[in-house]
Amino acid sequence: MAMLDRSEWYDIARSTNWTPRFITEDQLFPPEQSDPFGIPMSEWETYDEPYKVSYREYVGVQREKDAGAYSVKAALVRSKYYETIDDGYLSVLKFNYAASVPGEYAACFPEGRMVRFSKAPSMRNLAAFASLDEMRHTQILLFFSHQLAGMDRQFDWAAQSLGSMNWVSMAGRHAMEDLLHSRDVVTTSVMLHLAFETGLTNVQMLGLSADAANMGDFTFSNLITSIQSDEARHAQIGTPLVEILVRNGRVAEAQRAMDIGFWRIWRLFALVAGIPMDYFIPLHKRERSFKEYVTEFVVKQFERQLKDLGLDVPWYWSYFLNDIETYHHTQQAGIWSWRHTVWWNPDGAVGPKEREWLEAKYPGWNATYGKYWDVITDNAKHGRDEKTYAVGMPCVCNMCGITVAAPGGTEWQARVYQSEYKERRYNFCSPVCQWIFDNEPENYADFDTIVDRLYNGEVDLSKPDGLLTYMGIGIISEGGRDARHLSWAKEAELPAAAE
Amino acid sequence: MAGFAVLSRVQFDAHVRVVNIEEEFTMDELAAACAAPAIGYQAFHPDPSKPLRVRLTTKDDSAPALPRDMKVKETSMRHYECIDVFVE
Repeated sequence: MAMLDRSEWYDIARSTNWTPRFITEDQLFPPEQSDPFGIPMSEWETYDEPYKVSYREYVGVQREKDAGAYSVKAALVRSKYYETIDDGYLSVLKFNYAASVPGEYAACFPEGRMVRFSKAPSMRNLAAFASLDEMRHTQILLFFSHQLAGMDRQFDWAAQSLGSMNWVSMAGRHAMEDLLHSRDVVTTSVMLHLAFETGLTNVQMLGLSADAANMGDFTFSNLITSIQSDEARHAQIGTPLVEILVRNGRVAEAQRAMDIGFWRIWRLFALVAGIPMDYFIPLHKRERSFKEYVTEFVVKQFERQLKDLGLDVPWYWSYFLNDIETYHHTQQAGIWSWRHTVWWNPDGAVGPKEREWLEAKYPGWNATYGKYWDVITDNAKHGRDEKTYAVGMPCVCNMCGITVAAPGGTEWQARVYQSEYKERRYNFCSPVCQWIFDNEPENYADFDTIVDRLYNGEVDLSKPDGLLTYMGIGIISEGGRDARHLSWAKEAELPAAAE
Repeated sequence: MAGFAVLSRVQFDAHVRVVNIEEEFTMDELAAACAAPAIGYQAFHPDPSKPLRVRLTTKDDSAPALPRDMKVKETSMRHYECIDVFVE
């Protein structure tokens, strides 16, 4: 039992700092790790964390959370829920588990670096708890998904995607290494705590949690709200840090870090949350559209938070607002067409009623994405199932690692944004990905996308399915098929003039 | 024959695709190679009554169509050249 009340010792403990005597401050806190902006230590010591917690309290609260999450799982494990649930919903879980585990694990390390290299003593303290949070998230996601691997090998990607060369894993890993592993802790905090955790995680955690609860999957719903309760706490680490940056004339640096971090994570979240919400969750169980979630949690809330901090929305905000309406639709189409390259069974889910809902939520859907799906539907209805699989390679963005795609049909928006650096061509899906590269090309120039690896010899094309094998398909598990065996296509009416 | 990859955008397709081509290809053959993975899979032919033409991709889509019998090796195209395949 504690001898003293927290209020009697906390302020002393949180502000404990050292004045180095036999080494310099820069040797103790190398600028490239700690603070390249030259903000005085006296300023960092003003860092005032928005929540106060002792280690004893932290352990107590986290133990209760884990008891809650694990007990729900234990209660439901015998229900055979997962053996009977909709296959499209299972794909939500397969995709999310395997996408989230690497991300949570990746986040342990920057928090650990902050424990060592933050100049603000209380930020070092909070980062220790945050690192424990991320370890908890990694472990709990691995544990919960592991029970399902015996039922379906595709769930094994939760444990294996981090080390795989699947293009989806590469896209996530590239973003995590850029934002979390390769920058000083001040920049990393802006990218991780502000852009990533404050800006975007609510969409995945709260939005998907609601949809999961509607599906009756209280195990997953409870799990991710439990995770989000930690995120909501430790995301606040970024707020006092940004205040210090702004007060010390580093608005431009904070803004740039925010702009880079927000876009890179947005690209991933559009896939991991947007596609499931608007396509994989059965129509009658959808709480809201992805656009509605993003509008509430990001466009409205986050914009306010940024302005309160003295920052602005990113320079590409109008592009982003259009992206909310379009990007996940084009990626749903592309990933579904190339479904043999991923580890879940994407649900095409564009039968007549679904298309009606999509048109209502995204006016113009039928004139663009609808035309794409018309060709596929026509093939499916005429028994040309093999032609519903894409052939050849899509162009892949040298920044986000996702395919270059944009609305087609009655429009023609897909195009490459190309840069040349040291006589090599780099291809991007958007002016924003291109801008991130052009800012610091030396950071990214050595990376090869999955497409680049076809031409540099890294992928062995002499063997059948060489690319799929390289990406772990057929090794960790089989690749994806349509979740409903094309039944949604076969029940659709043929378009008036299928060509 | 020597070859490389172009980044092809077929008119009204949602994707930009990586297509392996040969330097001896005419523009008609190049257009056909680019159309093959797109049309009938996820895209419609923009107008079957007209031939597919090739032009270099520009920001404003204003480049002229290349002559149909021109060969790849007679153009400035090189690896990861961005091209449009379209009907005039």
